[in-house]
Amino acid sequence: MAVTDLTTTREARGSAVPHRRTGAVSKPRVRLSKRTRRTDRIAGTILAVFAFIGLFPYLYMLETSLKSNRQFNASYWAPSFPLHFHNYVSAWGDVAPYILTSLIVAAVTMVGCVFLGSVTAFVLGRFEFPGRRIFFGFIAVLLMVPGIASIIPLFTFMHSLNLLNTYPDLIIPQLAAQTVLAVVLMKTFVEQIPQTLFDAAAVDGASSARLYWNIMLPLARPIIGTVAVLSVIAVWSEYFWPELTITTNSLRTVPVGLQFFQGELTTSYGPLFAGYLIASAPLLILFVFLSRYFLAGIQGGLVAEQ
Amino acid sequence: MATTNPTESLGVPEPLPRGQNVTRSSVSRSPRSRRLTLALYLAILPTLVLLGLFTYYPDINGLVHSLTNWEPGFGSPWVGLANYQTMIHDTLWIESFQHVGEFFIFAVTLMWIFPLFLAEVLITLSSARWRFVFRSLLIVPLAFPGVVQVLIWEFLYDPNSGAINHFLHVIGLGGLAQNWLGNPHLALLSLIFINFPWVAGLPFLIFAAGLQNIPKEVFDAALIDGAGRWRRFRSIDLPMLLRQIRLLFFLAVIQVLQYGYAAFIATNGGPNNATTVPVLRMLNVAFDADEWGYAAALSTVLLLVMVVVSGLALLLSRGRKDKSAPDPSSRPAALA
Repeated sequence: MAVTDLTTTREARGSAVPHRRTGAVSKPRVRLSKRTRRTDRIAGTILAVFAFIGLFPYLYMLETSLKSNRQFNASYWAPSFPLHFHNYVSAWGDVAPYILTSLIVAAVTMVGCVFLGSVTAFVLGRFEFPGRRIFFGFIAVLLMVPGIASIIPLFTFMHSLNLLNTYPDLIIPQLAAQTVLAVVLMKTFVEQIPQTLFDAAAVDGASSARLYWNIMLPLARPIIGTVAVLSVIAVWSEYFWPELTITTNSLRTVPVGLQFFQGELTTSYGPLFAGYLIASAPLLILFVFLSRYFLAGIQGGLVAEQ
Repeated sequence: MATTNPTESLGVPEPLPRGQNVTRSSVSRSPRSRRLTLALYLAILPTLVLLGLFTYYPDINGLVHSLTNWEPGFGSPWVGLANYQTMIHDTLWIESFQHVGEFFIFAVTLMWIFPLFLAEVLITLSSARWRFVFRSLLIVPLAFPGVVQVLIWEFLYDPNSGAINHFLHVIGLGGLAQNWLGNPHLALLSLIFINFPWVAGLPFLIFAAGLQNIPKEVFDAALIDGAGRWRRFRSIDLPMLLRQIRLLFFLAVIQVLQYGYAAFIATNGGPNNATTVPVLRMLNVAFDADEWGYAAALSTVLLLVMVVVSGLALLLSRGRKDKSAPDPSSRPAALA
């Protein structure tokens, strides 16, 4: 186990723990580091066990996604060769339309909520004008209204607009929800930009639009990243709305598409799990390469409520 | 032009300290002020219209129609509070709250204990690199879409080809194999145990971050004072996490009230309504029974409950922030 080579204690790396080193009662160093090593080994083992339990379903999914039906029946637990990469090819055909639809919805939502959110946050956060606080309250209070509580009246409204089963039907509710979050997150951020930056530019004759474009937007990049990643996560999580309003298969987003796909393939676990993994790939990629934004996004709603 | 104090609260609490440098733009005081104000209104108009049309209007519409016998596209005869009276006697609706209540009990106990325990173990590691590695491994399941998490657990629970029953057979406990999601006595518990050990989630992230933010000096001081690991946990770690725990508590309430898609996918409220939750009951009334007025009433109740809970959480977290934050360095005194 890799955990056993954890020989670098805090002391050995020389990071500052002055009390311990200068303290008169401090125990001999060798004993201390030996104890740290033992603690590390125990802690590492516990963490490894729980990490394995947590990851097991996904590791099993990965392993099984490479098996044929016969291999699955003959060897339930152990990997079995040859690996059936073909499962991914056949699953791709089924899952790709869902991913495409989801990407379109996420992209429009992302661009829309970053634009609306940044403009609104800039105006509400940097200017004083009558009604500013009321407008912000009007938007921020929606943080308290989860989408699921509006689903019944929103359905009848979309129905009356003849928008069910269309792209706008998928996009608009997402856009509204993400814009609320974007405004609240970005306004807090915008208010912390030092006024001197804006003053300096204003003295140079920059218009308000230039201040927005040249100062606020570049500075807000981290928060824009968070909001953008959040749109993707939201589309990949929203289940009930597309489930209730979409009947055209090609308009299904990943969550409802996968469930439909599962219904079609109940017993072919190889291609089924390959499909699950393919459909998860966009989020996994975001998680690996933009984990800072991803985790900030997951905690985004919380930060806004705090 | 009104000169509001820029540091005062705007109806929502600010998570980050607000700098004193936030003054209103001097631009707005220029002679072009009126034209600028108009431009500002125009700039926020699209957002206001979007939200007004697609959130405020439907919500208010739903509230109004909860007082009618709503038949979308046709008439909506006024029935007063009849829908709400029906609701009080709707045993399925009441049961659905019992089910999320059971869920909630788990959500604020086991679903915190595991993450808290692992966060404690995590910060015990002396190597920052290994802390990072294990933290990442523990939260990887978070990166999978929620529906995939549910679908894969549905497979694990499968009575015939599921991994749980297979495993029980392997270790010689085949007698314990169950139809986990099909047994009315086990279905709800099985739904609750989806994603066991519940580490890949907000509680773990928050606990781990909170513990990591406690200055090392505090722990060292506690050690010198002779505080053992358990004593330190009780006297330092828990009090330091109290604010986060309170927040997670309200979040848990909101989350169980919103709970639905996992039950919809894995059991669809069955067997025998053993896993019906408020959201599923509401959707059934609307889409299966076609009673939209009644569904609107249920939806309104859900909405109001959630707004009240969120409001309460907000109020409490604001009230807390007014008091000065506890000075971390003064904490070890509690050990003396």
